[in-house]
Amino acid sequence: MNIVLLAPRNLLRSWHRSLVTTLAMGFAGVIMIVFASLMDGMLQASERNATMMNTGELQLHAKTYLDDPDLYAVMHDEKALLEKLSTVGVSASPRLFAFALAAAGSSSAGVQLRGITPSREAQVTEIHKHLMLGLWLDEVDTEGVVLGRKLARSLNIKVGEEVILLGQASDGSMANEIFRVRGILKAVADDIDRAGFFMLSSSFRKLMVVNEGVHEIAMKRLNQSDTLETKQQQVQDIAGPYEVKDWRSLMPVIARILELADAQTIFMLLITYVAVGMVILNAMLMSVFERIREFGIMKALGVNPWQIVQLVFAEAILQAVVASLFALAMGAWLALLLQERGIDFSHMVSATSFAGIALEPVWYAQVSFRSLALPIVFLFFMTLLAVIYPAIKAALIKPVDAIHHF
Amino acid sequence: MAPAEKKVIISIQQVSKSYQQGKVKVNAVNDLSLDIEEGEFTALCGPSGSGKTTLLNMIGGLDLPTEGVIKLELQELAQLSRMALSHLRRDRIGFVFQAYNLIPVMTAYENAEFVLALQGMPKAQRRERVMSILKQVGLQGLESRRPDEMSGGQQQRVAIARAIVTHPAVVLADEPTANVDSENAEALLDLMEELNQREGITFIFSTHDPRVMKRARRLVYLRDGQLDPAA
Ligand SMILES: Nc1ncnc2c1ncn2[C@@H]1O[C@H](COP(=O)(O)OP(=O)(O)OP(=O)(O)O)[C@@H](O)[C@H]1O
Ligand SMILES: [Mg+2]
Repeated sequence: MNIVLLAPRNLLRSWHRSLVTTLAMGFAGVIMIVFASLMDGMLQASERNATMMNTGELQLHAKTYLDDPDLYAVMHDEKALLEKLSTVGVSASPRLFAFALAAAGSSSAGVQLRGITPSREAQVTEIHKHLMLGLWLDEVDTEGVVLGRKLARSLNIKVGEEVILLGQASDGSMANEIFRVRGILKAVADDIDRAGFFMLSSSFRKLMVVNEGVHEIAMKRLNQSDTLETKQQQVQDIAGPYEVKDWRSLMPVIARILELADAQTIFMLLITYVAVGMVILNAMLMSVFERIREFGIMKALGVNPWQIVQLVFAEAILQAVVASLFALAMGAWLALLLQERGIDFSHMVSATSFAGIALEPVWYAQVSFRSLALPIVFLFFMTLLAVIYPAIKAALIKPVDAIHHF
Repeated sequence: MAPAEKKVIISIQQVSKSYQQGKVKVNAVNDLSLDIEEGEFTALCGPSGSGKTTLLNMIGGLDLPTEGVIKLELQELAQLSRMALSHLRRDRIGFVFQAYNLIPVMTAYENAEFVLALQGMPKAQRRERVMSILKQVGLQGLESRRPDEMSGGQQQRVAIARAIVTHPAVVLADEPTANVDSENAEALLDLMEELNQREGITFIFSTHDPRVMKRARRLVYLRDGQLDPAA
């Protein structure tokens, strides 16, 4: 049976219904392409923001450090290590950590000292742009420190005021020094907000008597088109006994939230397409019921039920093809527009952060193969699902009953 | 010349067909036996409800008897699978129904070609056959008309063309002339008769029109699903 000839003619015969059905499929496709692109854009921005605040994309530690952040668990000879890292296409920022007690006026709080090198840190994170008050660290201001938002509040301290640090240095002596608050951060992540006490690594070394080695090296790919997996492998290859982790395993909760956003896209696709599926089901059922006699005669002439199924499927698939072309053209155009311009929420909200992820007030779409293909694949899947019942209905028509049907 | 022994192509042995209508059982065909020989031009006659359509449907394998045996070319229809039945209809039987026989989105040519295409005959061969059949049924020049651009009589001619184009063993026609005027009815019968005589195609048609019965070479009278001995 010449399905290629029959299917389009059957659709044209009731072109009104075919058009409405195809448009419904097409518009759902457009909406889902735009939605998927926006979700992908948000995911990508979230991923970028999650890593750029503090974590970086990869981190290197001594094997035991993450389980037990001990002052002595350092990676030795950091100069050579940093040198080697620069050869595999990552920028790297060495960090030193220690716990201490901070006091200002009559308040005191436990803090996490974070010794960094500002020039290197700026190559990996953008925390220096995230100040609420005052200024970021500067190599020349050896007593300047920057505090987390909540820490500054609980110490009841302002920019320019003094803060006293007390702790135990690595040689067992008492560490004890006065610093001056240079800046206070915006909300970054809960641990930094509550206890983050940033200082120059040179000041850290002097205070804590740590002459060599670092606790952490945070890294970022120089070229974002390299996959993180290969970079991680390359870093591991040169890092010897130290341990490389990517941001997903360092921030499993955030990685999980982002994964769930992915599931959300698929869930939205399903819901939208169930509605479209109903439209298809209804239209195809109507068209089958209108042609009971015709199908009956075809079967009397020797067309087998399987061929009838094929015909009904062909009619639905043809509409899905036309709808997909429409959805791809229209959806890609709209999504690209949103990728270029974004949706600006800045008049409603300012830049904030959520669970350690900075949220920007402009939402950009990200058009990818996935955001275009997924809605189309789902459209076809739903079409095939919706047409099963009408096709079986048509295939089971008995010629004897159908022939009395005018 | 002694009449050659004619081959029986349809054998109907003690066939009954009953329908359950609510609580009542209707015997549409009741213990009927009948043989049809090759080359017959036979009319099934009888009042409305006598079982003509039911019998034709069973001969064509569209419906199965509740009791008894129907054989087409020695093959018992009830023993065939659905698929085999649909192949049998495609290859050995031509159907003409009362009206609206044609596939509305196809032209006269495509309708006549339909079953040949189902059989998988090559295109060139199909073309030759269809053009010659359409000429035979007097539709030359109307090949590209759709059914809704043809008269009822012309549509029935296309249906007859489609039924005979495959050289079937038998053409089953259920009141083929019921929906056309008497002039067209005569013309259709002329056509069927000519095809029967020239090509030797077996025709079985049902009717309650006396003018049509007159044209048949054999009359089978039905009443209440049985052969009517009185007629
Ligand atoms: N599908 C069915 N269900 C129930 N009863 C049926 C069915 N088909 C036919 N009948 C009954 O079987 C009997 C014979 O019907 P059939 O259609 O064979 O008669 P017919 O001779 O073709 O009549 P007509 O000249 O009106 O076409 C009738 O009593 C009819 O009501
Ligand atoms: Mg009838």
